[in-house]
Amino acid sequence: MGYDDKFARLSRREAMALASAAGAAALINSPAFAQGTPKKGGVLKVSANANPSSLDPQTGGAGSDHTMLFPMYDTLVEWDYETLKPKPGLAESWSFTDPQTLVMNIRSGVTFHDGTPLDAEAVKFNLDRAKTEQRSNIKADLATVASVATTGPQQVTLKLSQPDAALPGILSDRAGMMISPTAVKASGNIDRKPVGAGAYQFVSWTDNEKIVIKRYDKYWRANERHLDGIEFAIIPELATGVRSVIAGQNHVAYSLPARQKAVLKRASNINQASGPTVYCQQIYFNWGRPPFDDIRVRKAINHAVDRATFVKATLDGVGEPAFMNLPSSHWAYDAEVAKLYPHDPDKARALLKEANIPQGFELDLIGYTDQDSIRREEILIEQFAKVGLKAKFTNGSIAEMSAAFFGKDKKGAGLLSAWTGRPDPSLTYTLLYSKNSYFNAARADVPAGLPEALAATRASENIDARKKAFATVQRIVMENALACPLAFQFELDALSPKVKGFKPNLLGKPKYEGVWLES
Amino acid sequence: MAQGSALAMIGRRLLQAAPVIVLATFIVFGLLKLLPGDVAVTLAGDNATDERIAEIRRIYGLDRPFLVQYGVWLWKAAHGDLSQSILSGEQVVTSIARCFPHTLLIVVMALGLALLIGVPLGAAAAARPNGPVDRATMTLASIGIAVPNFWLAMILVSLFALRWNIFPATGATAFSVSPTDAINHAILPALALAAGGMAEVARQVRGSLLDVMSSQFVRTLRAKGLKTSTILWRHGLKNIAVNLLTVTGLLFNRLLAATVVVEAVFAIPGMGGLIVHAAIQRDFTVVQGVVFAMVIVVILVNLVTDMLCAAVDPRIGR
Amino acid sequence: MSGLFAFLRRDIRAALAIAYLALLVLVAVAAPWLSPYSPTAQNVNDMLAQPSAAHWLGTDDLGRDILSRLIHGAPATIYASLLAVGVAILLGVPVGLAAGYFGGWIDDVISRTIDTLLSFPAIVLAIAVTGALGIGLTNGMIAVGIVFAPQLARLARARTLVVRHELYVDAARCFGASTPHILWRHVLPNAVQPVIVQVTLLLAAALLAEASLSFLGLGVQPPHPSWGAMLARAYQAMDIAPEQMYPPGLAILFTALAFNALGESMRVALDPTLKR
Repeated sequence: MGYDDKFARLSRREAMALASAAGAAALINSPAFAQGTPKKGGVLKVSANANPSSLDPQTGGAGSDHTMLFPMYDTLVEWDYETLKPKPGLAESWSFTDPQTLVMNIRSGVTFHDGTPLDAEAVKFNLDRAKTEQRSNIKADLATVASVATTGPQQVTLKLSQPDAALPGILSDRAGMMISPTAVKASGNIDRKPVGAGAYQFVSWTDNEKIVIKRYDKYWRANERHLDGIEFAIIPELATGVRSVIAGQNHVAYSLPARQKAVLKRASNINQASGPTVYCQQIYFNWGRPPFDDIRVRKAINHAVDRATFVKATLDGVGEPAFMNLPSSHWAYDAEVAKLYPHDPDKARALLKEANIPQGFELDLIGYTDQDSIRREEILIEQFAKVGLKAKFTNGSIAEMSAAFFGKDKKGAGLLSAWTGRPDPSLTYTLLYSKNSYFNAARADVPAGLPEALAATRASENIDARKKAFATVQRIVMENALACPLAFQFELDALSPKVKGFKPNLLGKPKYEGVWLES
Repeated sequence: MAQGSALAMIGRRLLQAAPVIVLATFIVFGLLKLLPGDVAVTLAGDNATDERIAEIRRIYGLDRPFLVQYGVWLWKAAHGDLSQSILSGEQVVTSIARCFPHTLLIVVMALGLALLIGVPLGAAAAARPNGPVDRATMTLASIGIAVPNFWLAMILVSLFALRWNIFPATGATAFSVSPTDAINHAILPALALAAGGMAEVARQVRGSLLDVMSSQFVRTLRAKGLKTSTILWRHGLKNIAVNLLTVTGLLFNRLLAATVVVEAVFAIPGMGGLIVHAAIQRDFTVVQGVVFAMVIVVILVNLVTDMLCAAVDPRIGR
Repeated sequence: MSGLFAFLRRDIRAALAIAYLALLVLVAVAAPWLSPYSPTAQNVNDMLAQPSAAHWLGTDDLGRDILSRLIHGAPATIYASLLAVGVAILLGVPVGLAAGYFGGWIDDVISRTIDTLLSFPAIVLAIAVTGALGIGLTNGMIAVGIVFAPQLARLARARTLVVRHELYVDAARCFGASTPHILWRHVLPNAVQPVIVQVTLLLAAALLAEASLSFLGLGVQPPHPSWGAMLARAYQAMDIAPEQMYPPGLAILFTALAFNALGESMRVALDPTLKR
């Protein structure tokens, strides 16, 4: 094994070149990993980073679930690994017959793991359930869908309440994961016994320990699927996950913190894969009440953070500073907006003074208990101290603290967390910055013009028009400093040399299509 | 001891243990009701409606008076039902049944190591009080008691797993799946745990041996011309059996608690991982269940130790 | 002869322990003046550095001076140990005194509760309580204090039983002294000695408990340094910089050793039956 395949990854510059070429060939994928003819068989062992919130894509809520959901659930729409541009999945084609009507043609001959045929009825059942089921966590994703009708045995027509070009992208996410209607009708709750139409079917789930899935023989793309099964060993401590790969207990550890790079480099028997993602570490503001109801304080925070240092300390080499909710390699990135907040402690101090925030003011922030979060907190505490702010973090589990901040309690002025990204950026911006969105902690009013600008991003399918519309959205969001984006965490994966055909993707949630094991 | 009286004693001991167990459940249950914040809100998750929160409160019986909640829980617990995890919905008994074997293996191995090394060490120390072996042993014993187990575990991992690749750094294998693999995984955690234990055992063995040596009976033997080492092996160890049993019982309980932190170092999915995870997530049914299960184990171990002691030395039984 | 030697050895041990602990307190008090750097000053260009003239013990994963963090961790460590033991004393001693003095059903209830609590694995209970009260050093150490209280209660009860019917206690009662007065003036002083010995040993146990809780992320919160939290960070860096775990680990070890040594020496000095 040479130097090249060990460090095969896409540099940021290459990624940007790729993005400007508007999505070309696979670059992230190292040729080394794709070498040879795929071999059938073997069980891929993955060190998974979190116990899933649920294995029902419609009721689950954690961004870390997807990588375990994808193998079990095929989506209506899929995306290009490098650009996240939508491409056919279970829906072999689609078109907007008018801006408020989306017609989708469903691939025929596909069956769910329980043998139920995947037809127009099944798709309608799923979309209706996502919109109406009480426990559905994705009602907002399909907010623009007014009704779903079956217009043929394998065709559904979605009537929209307003133009929404983002829908295909949305249908490549949770909302597009098709669940067997038979299974849902039989038990109502399939959180722990999922039945999809994906390459692998569910075998068992032992909490905080293991999820086992095995190949589904009647999978519609069985030829492109090589493994007999996948075992996800749930190891939340990522350093431990890496050790398990080095020790040969697992084949893959993914979404690793940057400091693991040094570990991987030292290990002689490990390949690493990496590439840009839309995973954005950021501070969420509760902009409905002091001190963050004052735009000057929010701006001050954005000037106070030293993103370059933050990235160097936490993501050296596998991340980039974030100036908005899209990374520089994304098709809708806007270079002008990125210039809004250079690191400028003096300006931050001046803004705080203007807002009558005294020196030594205590910022009441919320965070998580894991060591990587704590490390990020410590960096921010130090940076805020330099502009006279005393940051005090209250830490807890992700579920508890997120609920405390976004939910009813409204604890804390800000939350240091992350946005795992969505395939279509309009979903990201709608979910984060709408008046009644869950992630708008105060459900506070949004700046004038933002809803219209957001609607404009969904009005046309033309990518240049959409890019322009997104530039406006990003400008409004960042000029109003509705959040403090800190850094994009690039994907870093540790792979056993046996693993072939693995490709990271821009979403940063690994899929295992086409992966095979060398004996 | 006659068969009948032994059974009677077991019955008596069990009867004595019963109120302790009930009291333990009350304490466990009461402590976790101190929980500030509303579990139901956390449980309901993102976008929860008030109805959903009320529903969860109803499902988990959180809307009922404390004593009723306790009564229900106790009644179920008595029937082997520790209710289900708030977060995952898994039966707590199932989680414990899955995690406990990992913890038990480590504790048993650590106990074995502690006895295997501690007894000869203590005997060697006692053979020559204040000799070099004795002093080295006692120094080691002091360090063994003061050293943080999890730090020792980290040192062992960095040397034996990361540097020399002799043992696995993390994880565990179920004994039922592969005994050798399971033991291989448990060696480093057991070593880290055993350090304090072997020190304690050595200290106790030394102490009781010195007591025995200074007794009239041994002086007589020695006067008869028997060698010190012969006296120690033939008579000394037999005489300290009760003492050793007591220490072993206490040690088992101490190791059971200490594994909790050591497991974190090795990412072992045992009782420690279960409770730490649950405590951070505020999954109070799991926390209750784990604490309860551990208390039961401790009480049972005490019971067994008592009975074994009584069997060895019938004077104790009465 | 050997008895004398043992005595001398114990004395030296106690002297060493006291000297070390005095030094530790001094360091804790003078931390701001003693430490060469601010314990929170970061330098991302100098992360995980080896020991050097500038940084005697190297730097941590954010480029902070480890020696300075160790020095500033001392007050947190002392505070944590004292807090836990303080809670244990405040809870355990009065309860033990009451049980021993009043006897009867009060004693029955308290003794049963003590026995039950003693069968709880201490650190497990502390984790559970911390989870319930909320994460943080103070909550964690209160939990540890609660867990330690029964040990002191049992001790206080035993001593009280001994003196309850002593002549001078009866005399005080006859003279119409109030119960609190009797407990405070006549009973408590008799329980002090064994309690002090036990408290010294508990300080070591509390120190280890603090380290464990902080290691599990349930104790000290950032950016305050504590030795346990430093170990948690060192654990993260274990693959690339294993030497990070030694300074905080040794600090914990030495301090626990000192408390234990002091406790043992005091026990021997105060308990005539142990002198051989």
